[in-house]
Amino acid sequence: MAKYQDELDPITGRMELVEGDHVTFHDVTEAVARPIEIPSSRWWIAFIPSVMLLGVYLISIAYLLYMGTGIWGLNNPVAWGWAIVNFVFWVGIGHAGTLISAVLFLFRQKWRTSINRAAEAMTIFAVICALQFPTFHTGRPWFIYWPLPLPNQMDMWPNFRSPLLWDVFAVSTYFTVSLLFWYVGLIPDLATMRDRAKTPIRRFAYGLFSLGWRGSTRHWLNYEKAYMILAGLSTPLVLSVHTIVSFDFAASQLPGWHTTIFPPYFVAGAIFSGFAMVLTLLLPVRAWFKLEHIITVKHLENMAKIILLTGTMVGYAYAMEFFIAWYSGNPYESFAFQNRLFGDYWWAYWIMVSCNVISPQFFWFKRIRRSVVWLFILSIFVNIGMWFERFVITVTSLHHDFLPSSWDYYSPTVWDVSTLVGSFGLFFTLFCLFVRYLPTVAIGEVKSVMAIANPHHHGDSHGEHH
Amino acid sequence: MSHAHDKPFVLPADQIHIPAGSMWRKMPIIGLLLGAGGLGGAWATSHGDSHAFWYAYLVAYMVFLAIALGGLFFVIVQHLVRAGWSIAVRRIAENAMITLPVMVLLGLPIIFLGAHDLYHWMDVAAVEHDVMLNAKKSYLNETSFLIRMGVYFLVWTGLSVFFYAKSTGSDGNPEAGIRAAHSMRFWAAPAVALFALSLTFAAFDLLMSLDPHWFSTMFGVYYFAGSALSIFSFISLTVVLLHKSGYLRGVVTTEHYHDLGKFLFGFTVFYTYIAFSQYFLIWYANIPEETMWFGYRIADDFLPLTFLLAGGRFFIPFFFLLRRGVKRNAFTLTLAAVWILFMQVVDMYWLVQPVLAHHHALESADHVMHLHIGPVDFLALLGVAGVFIAGFTWALGRKALVPTGDPRIEESVRFENF
Repeated sequence: MAKYQDELDPITGRMELVEGDHVTFHDVTEAVARPIEIPSSRWWIAFIPSVMLLGVYLISIAYLLYMGTGIWGLNNPVAWGWAIVNFVFWVGIGHAGTLISAVLFLFRQKWRTSINRAAEAMTIFAVICALQFPTFHTGRPWFIYWPLPLPNQMDMWPNFRSPLLWDVFAVSTYFTVSLLFWYVGLIPDLATMRDRAKTPIRRFAYGLFSLGWRGSTRHWLNYEKAYMILAGLSTPLVLSVHTIVSFDFAASQLPGWHTTIFPPYFVAGAIFSGFAMVLTLLLPVRAWFKLEHIITVKHLENMAKIILLTGTMVGYAYAMEFFIAWYSGNPYESFAFQNRLFGDYWWAYWIMVSCNVISPQFFWFKRIRRSVVWLFILSIFVNIGMWFERFVITVTSLHHDFLPSSWDYYSPTVWDVSTLVGSFGLFFTLFCLFVRYLPTVAIGEVKSVMAIANPHHHGDSHGEHH
Repeated sequence: MSHAHDKPFVLPADQIHIPAGSMWRKMPIIGLLLGAGGLGGAWATSHGDSHAFWYAYLVAYMVFLAIALGGLFFVIVQHLVRAGWSIAVRRIAENAMITLPVMVLLGLPIIFLGAHDLYHWMDVAAVEHDVMLNAKKSYLNETSFLIRMGVYFLVWTGLSVFFYAKSTGSDGNPEAGIRAAHSMRFWAAPAVALFALSLTFAAFDLLMSLDPHWFSTMFGVYYFAGSALSIFSFISLTVVLLHKSGYLRGVVTTEHYHDLGKFLFGFTVFYTYIAFSQYFLIWYANIPEETMWFGYRIADDFLPLTFLLAGGRFFIPFFFLLRRGVKRNAFTLTLAAVWILFMQVVDMYWLVQPVLAHHHALESADHVMHLHIGPVDFLALLGVAGVFIAGFTWALGRKALVPTGDPRIEESVRFENF
């Protein structure tokens, strides 16, 4: 154990959440606010390629709008191609932020404070990316408001029995509450930025959005109440979104889709992929912005453990699906799962299992959990694996359905690929703008979990540790 | 850990040890008497109807197995996440967990005596005439059932004895406590995997295979949700009783009540989430081989029971436990805990007994599902409860009521919600 001795909080005996000797509150503010105020030129190295990818996305969408969804590889049995795969992939990624802010808050996990801001921002951007796909998959996105139950002269209503409609409600609710939650958490830090601002434009912009925050006790009291209520509201929402997404599949009768474990299995998978994306984004951010003493190795290790846990839960769900497909004695179920392993898309299945079930098992080793390089590589593997999971679920079940005469092989076109790759451009562009203009770490919250914030803290008295 | 607090931390000895002569110390004998009386009475009142006896026995067994497995779950998860708040109540969960070897003993009669009455697929002749059972016989057969049960029993005994011995072995010895805490945390991670798989497949084998045609990937999680609810109720109830009889005062506090209540609330929602998902997906897809399992549970006499399950598992505890004050009050927390344990009994009854009623209905002329609760059900429950209580209270009296050597015991006792 001594090999990895973390700094310990002198009061609680637990890991110090902000590392370094004599780090003051002001040092934290400086560490977070300075990279925004005096931006590094390295930011452009990330931003320019992101915007170029965004261009790829915009071109793909423009061509799609001109030509129609025929430019995608959709065919008769596989009418849900990459559009649905990408939608579920991005929605899944959009789970980590609110989980960190809401669920970990309810579980009193103080370490969440240094990663929640960036994770929540990522959540919102991921949901924005996700919403692109069903919107354009409708073929006529200018009618995207049709799923809303708007009274109209024709007395036409959306089909309330369809899980796809519930998706509209679930995702839009989740997006709204996540955005509110993120914004409420930002208010004190926006006020900090306002107070430090040197130009009138900055002062005005940060001032406008900080809603007159003065940091009084009354403000903090209201803030903490609002935070608790939003955390309570967000927690069921974190579960509900991917539950409803899983209903899109599981409410059907299709072998490989219809299975009762889908809701919790999808939620576990979403958290798994979301945490992997948080790592993918935060590892460079903490290095470039020199935040290693705030987002410490211990934080990374905790995230790795959550990835290990949720990845293993996903493995459990795969195992249950296979076991029940065999146990049920249902030949269609058995066929669907044999087809996954050894059918036309065997490669996709084995990529999924290697990335989602096998790769997180490396996190059993503490050395790997604490190695930035390993974490980055494995987080990429998980991202890939979770995309393939949705591909396997969607395509392998559809391409060989009940009627062998309609069986077909589905392949994406170059436009499918460019839309997916381009959506990363949208995602990274938004994230670059976020780290450029907003505090990437919740300054106020981090201060509250530092040892010096503890009322029992007496200067620099260090006691004996465990 | 340095102590910034003014007074040095001492656990009051009279609060954490139950002296000989206390009523608690007599409970093992009383429990065994209840056990013998209950099980003997159940056998006698079943009037030779071995089906009635074994179905009632299985209901009772699954109720108390859920508490014991819930104890194991509680203990390994607290180590895994390095929880601080829960250490003051962890010994109670450890004592519930160490009844697992006793539950293994109580499980042996099911395997060796009751299995043929309980599990239709054990009837080789019936399997030959049933296409589906024939297809499943590589899993559902007596030999592999025996082997699997043996594996679960070994895993449960091994894990419970390991964590119990580590924890009690360091009582009063903080240095050993630190070593034990590290070691238990290390083993907690693989233990979670073993726990999840053994509980899942035990639920498949003992409960799901009662109706061997039916299957659900969620079923293992369903039994787990009930066992988590059971242990949080059981800990709450035990703590309140110990407080009433003058123990653990100032050690386990209102703050612990509050957290136990939060978990009761949380797992109430979790249970509802997975139970509703299981029901909803099967209802929506409406595939006959799956819906028939719910079909006979909402038929005739069983419909009110199903409504009781939905209302009693969710609406009542959810709205009751929502308020902060309810979770922090001994009386209201007790009400919630007793209700949730009662609903666990209803749930296990709902999983098990409709299968027997369904068999009877198919054999009867009018095909009506009759819900029949008789003395055999109460006595079997009383009997298994007696044996469980004997095991639990024996462990309770044997050692301190809190893990005194744990490095975070002070953090737990002094913990406050804010």
